[in-house]
Amino acid sequence: MAQKQIELQDLDLQQLVEVKKQLEDELSHLTSSFGQLKQAQNRFADCIESCKAIHEKNEAKTILVPLTSSLYVPGKLADVQKVIVDIGTGYYVEKTTEDAIKFYNAKVAFVNGNLEKIQTTVAQKQGNLRSLVDVMQYKLQIQQQEQKAAAASKA
Amino acid sequence: MSAAQALQRKFEAESAAYQTIQKDYSKAVESRQRLDSQLQENKIVQEEFALLKGDANIYKLIGPVLVKQEKAEAVTNVDKRIDFIQAEIDRVEKQLKDLQEKTEKKRVELVQTQTMLQQAVGQK
Repeated sequence: MAQKQIELQDLDLQQLVEVKKQLEDELSHLTSSFGQLKQAQNRFADCIESCKAIHEKNEAKTILVPLTSSLYVPGKLADVQKVIVDIGTGYYVEKTTEDAIKFYNAKVAFVNGNLEKIQTTVAQKQGNLRSLVDVMQYKLQIQQQEQKAAAASKA
Repeated sequence: MSAAQALQRKFEAESAAYQTIQKDYSKAVESRQRLDSQLQENKIVQEEFALLKGDANIYKLIGPVLVKQEKAEAVTNVDKRIDFIQAEIDRVEKQLKDLQEKTEKKRVELVQTQTMLQQAVGQK
């Protein structure tokens, strides 16, 4: 970190502005990724909840099956043992509900790991950005003082 | 003046060429990223297949319908897809390197032309 400070000191204002922009771009990209991952995690958690609702007690009960988001048809829960799970790239696998819950739990944990990684990166980048802004303000101050001094010597 | 004009024209042509190269480069970066996410997704599917029992029912989504598929077939399909994506990544990687070199070369040319142009205008 100390080394970074020295490097920052060596840059002129315009370069600092560019670095700042780059950092801000990276940060916004990371935060949007973070939000997307969070959404994915919530979707998986919803899937777990849905799997938990499929058990013997609910067998043969009538349910409403969504054909589209606004059109439902009545149906009966015929099989409470198995569900079909989307595992990506167009492949679906038949699993028991317990296995499906395990599968989604693993997914949630996987996403969680990535979320933590992003969070540390975001914190680090924010630290970098803060020290960069500090250096920028310092440089600006010096520039202003120089201008004032120049104006004073002229007068 | 005509020398300066010729240089000006050359400069414009070169900067246009430079911009085209940069556009190609960002396109290549994009496809590289897309390939990477596809590779990740396929790898996850491959891992999931490895966890499955031999008699597990696997379905493939074709259009709006799910079609049952043998496990062996699905596994070879995904393996093949990963090989293909890997080959594509190598290809795009090479393309990226190529474009990077081209960009660097064009930039040097551009700077040269620019200095020549400035001198020509300055002498006038």
